[in-house]
Amino acid sequence: MPGSTADATALAQRLLHEDGPGYASWRGRRRYRQAIANIGLPQHRSEAWRHTNIGRWYQAACVASEQQAAGTADEAGAVTGPADVQVADFGEAEVQALAEAHLGTTVALARQPLAAVNALLLETGFVAHVPPGTHSEPVRIGPLAGRFQHLLVVVAAGAEVTLLEEAAGYAHRFVEIVIGNGARVEHRRRQAGSTTHECSLLGVRVAEHGRYALAQSCRGAALRRNDVEIQLAGGAEATVTSAWRLAEEEHLDNQVAVHHLAPGGRSRQTYRGVVGGQARAIIDGHIHIAAGANGTDAALSTKNLIADSRAAVFAKPVLEIHASDVRCAHGATVGTLDEAAIHYLRSRGIDERAARELLVRGFLREAAADAEGQALLGLAA
Amino acid sequence: MSLLSVRGLRVEAAGEPILNGLDLDVAAGEVHAVMGPNGAGKSTLANVLAGHPGFDVTAGSMAMAGEDLGERSPEERAHLGLFLAFQYPVEIPGVSNMEFLKAAVDAQAKQAGQEAPPAVDFIRRTRQAADQLGLDAAFLKRGVNEGFSGGEKKRNEILQMLLLAPKLAVLDETDSGLDIDALKVVADGINAFRSADNGVLLVTHYQRLLNYVVPDHVHVLAGGRIVRSGDSSLAHRLEAEGYAWIDG
Repeated sequence: MPGSTADATALAQRLLHEDGPGYASWRGRRRYRQAIANIGLPQHRSEAWRHTNIGRWYQAACVASEQQAAGTADEAGAVTGPADVQVADFGEAEVQALAEAHLGTTVALARQPLAAVNALLLETGFVAHVPPGTHSEPVRIGPLAGRFQHLLVVVAAGAEVTLLEEAAGYAHRFVEIVIGNGARVEHRRRQAGSTTHECSLLGVRVAEHGRYALAQSCRGAALRRNDVEIQLAGGAEATVTSAWRLAEEEHLDNQVAVHHLAPGGRSRQTYRGVVGGQARAIIDGHIHIAAGANGTDAALSTKNLIADSRAAVFAKPVLEIHASDVRCAHGATVGTLDEAAIHYLRSRGIDERAARELLVRGFLREAAADAEGQALLGLAA
Repeated sequence: MSLLSVRGLRVEAAGEPILNGLDLDVAAGEVHAVMGPNGAGKSTLANVLAGHPGFDVTAGSMAMAGEDLGERSPEERAHLGLFLAFQYPVEIPGVSNMEFLKAAVDAQAKQAGQEAPPAVDFIRRTRQAADQLGLDAAFLKRGVNEGFSGGEKKRNEILQMLLLAPKLAVLDETDSGLDIDALKVVADGINAFRSADNGVLLVTHYQRLLNYVVPDHVHVLAGGRIVRSGDSSLAHRLEAEGYAWIDG
């Protein structure tokens, strides 16, 4: 087994001292090097990585695949959107002001040190600016070239937009979404099954009375880790709905944190997962309510089905509440398919396999509402 | 040949004997009622016929139209034309009633080597049957039995029976928990289903359903065996005098 401590140390040394063939020097590296020097890189068995061996990611993403092509032109998608949505590469002068104002503002490096790794090894970067108004055509974030990717989406006050994200095929993808006052963003993210080692980081900052909804459908990968950090200003709202279905030896680690920073916010987190084979799913949903964020209404529900005795689920809700006048509900369950329901279906002539599939479909559908997400999870009727 | 033929059936659950050598024959065109006190083994009989995994058949045989049921899975029994209306229908959240009914009808067609019926025909038939049972269209969109009242669950069982048109319908305490209006609706459904080609086995504690669905034969189950058989007048006597006079 790879010694992850050695990998982390070696990578840190390299990042601190080498100017690799990274992205343009569009931004000083000092800040990120400082962060790495101060806090170090995550180690296997550190609290945030207790069920995911990050050593395997260091090996696969930062060492072993160095020699691999970063993705051919055919595979590479792009960021596209309606004509009035401005999309530009990080290097372009027209987006420098936006980049300077917002890049790196959605997460704290101390909590998310891989953001520093991403910055130092960055190969692909895009900024999208969504102007005010309702945009009926979505902004699409496809598979992109480059193993380390950073996308910044700035949504103007009052704007309404849908983001469709195909998230797969990178080593690390960092998506930042900055949502203006009263703006509404619906983010649909699909992660197809993969044999790769992938980490993603999604940072969202929602200004007053803005709304953000993430609907995520995931298959597993050899290693897949999704960190999500959402900060809500006063009266802002976030909905996170995620469904996954894992098989064989797939691994999916979802770490979601909603930070209520000011009064009157509302958040809902809903997770539904089915884990078969020898797969392993981790879901940690965090609700943080800052001092003074009174009137916050937060809820989190996690339900997991284990479809094979060799599969494993680790579900942990974490609540950190520093305000007094709040509503905060949470629940987590891990169970197996209801044998009485299977028998009932079989007594109607439905064979056992189809009966199990019907139950899985019913279970996941609650969290995989849109047709594409259902198709990804194999739930099409 | 009998539609259903049960011979010397002995059944245990968790090592406890429940049925102790039960014999029963149901021919096409007949309605049989099996009555008996609580704990006599009525529901066990119904569930064992449908292949419930919680029981061990230790002796005897069950056959439908000459086909042995003993080693067959629940779905294979359904494919042979056996239907059990459950005493306690199971709730399946997230799976709509319509989707469930379609899956059952499609599975039946597939097993018979036929194409699944076109969705339009299926929906029309389902709505008609639901209407017949006083169930509105919204009921079909809800999760299977999810949040249904007791009466709705029982009517939903009859709905499935009408759509699947089995050769033998076993109704396990279908009358329990029904008010008089619902009882009549359910009885009308059973009477509409009755034909010269199929059979019905009513398992019930009370006689009142039998006022509306008049059986050809009534059997008293006690101590795990049929201890008395007769015509529908036997049900009336049980209603009037209870089960105490049956000496097992």
